[in-house]
Amino acid sequence: MNELTVSKPPLPWWAAGILLGLVQVLAIGLAKPLGVSTQFVVADAKIIKQIAPEYAQNHPLISNEKYQKFGYGWWLDVGLVIGAFLAAILIRRWKLKATTVWWQQNHGPSILTRLIAGCCGGFIILLGARFAHGCTSGQFASGWAQLSLSAVPFTITMFGFGILTAFLVYPKTPTIDK
Amino acid sequence: MSPQITGLIIGGLFGAALVLAALADPDKIIGTLRLKDFHAMRTIAVFVLVGMLGTWILEMAGLAHFSVKPAAIISVLIGGALLGIGFGLTGFCPGTGLACAASGRIDALITVLGMFLGALAFILIYPSIVAPIDNIANYGKTTLPQITNMPKALWVIPIFLLGSIILFLTRPKK
Repeated sequence: MNELTVSKPPLPWWAAGILLGLVQVLAIGLAKPLGVSTQFVVADAKIIKQIAPEYAQNHPLISNEKYQKFGYGWWLDVGLVIGAFLAAILIRRWKLKATTVWWQQNHGPSILTRLIAGCCGGFIILLGARFAHGCTSGQFASGWAQLSLSAVPFTITMFGFGILTAFLVYPKTPTIDK
Repeated sequence: MSPQITGLIIGGLFGAALVLAALADPDKIIGTLRLKDFHAMRTIAVFVLVGMLGTWILEMAGLAHFSVKPAAIISVLIGGALLGIGFGLTGFCPGTGLACAASGRIDALITVLGMFLGALAFILIYPSIVAPIDNIANYGKTTLPQITNMPKALWVIPIFLLGSIILFLTRPKK
């Protein structure tokens, strides 16, 4: 198998989906639906409070109590990092990588272009997620679990623009090991 | 259990599940958005269907903790579009970006750095741009059963059955 092949996933789609669905049910049963992106604002708010306490105090968003404390949501993100790390080690998929098969297939071996795209992508991902009151977890997955009205417009633009962008950025398809 | 411990446990399971499900694999996400590799799309569909059915059962048992987001239609449309562009460019979203960074991906680590900058930009433009847009066409924290005035069962059962049938009929053949 050559290097430019997308590797086989560890679990079949149905088992993977059931596992994620059960984690969601557990979260809603014990505390609150899954959500990830709010804590990026919490972390930045903590730093702003150190550098510019007056600005933070008068800010209509980050002066809110929700952005002042490391609670359930913060520890969920910390747990996510630890859980992903341990799972990757356990199934022997922890590996230093800096680019993807799809990126190399379309844009060559340069890691620098991938990293620049990553940084810009991360910027609009989080800006968009907070604009939308949630990301793929909090707005899409948890939104549909609760049948929120907000999940409908979110799903349309997220997948619509996601598919459009992927078609523009990745026209060439690599080999995929299913 | 304290909320911190609960968060840590649920987050740990979620992070492990994202890795096992290969959603924390940008190649699988791009394959799905390019409509060439449906593993991630099918996984996400099952995730949503099981979450929806389970939440409905929890609610009937009086055990569900809801947190419905406000339906601010314009900001949700704009935010979804921005997130979608970043998602289609990188193959990461906030959760899978963190999970990928934890499994050795430098590109994910840089993407997460970009996310912290995006959060900063959000804070800076919130008073002047985000807050006013958020007030346009904002229907509040409402759900589909509430706005259609229908029992939840009439939403959950048809979506679950239809979704399951479609997934079954289109299942990949070996």
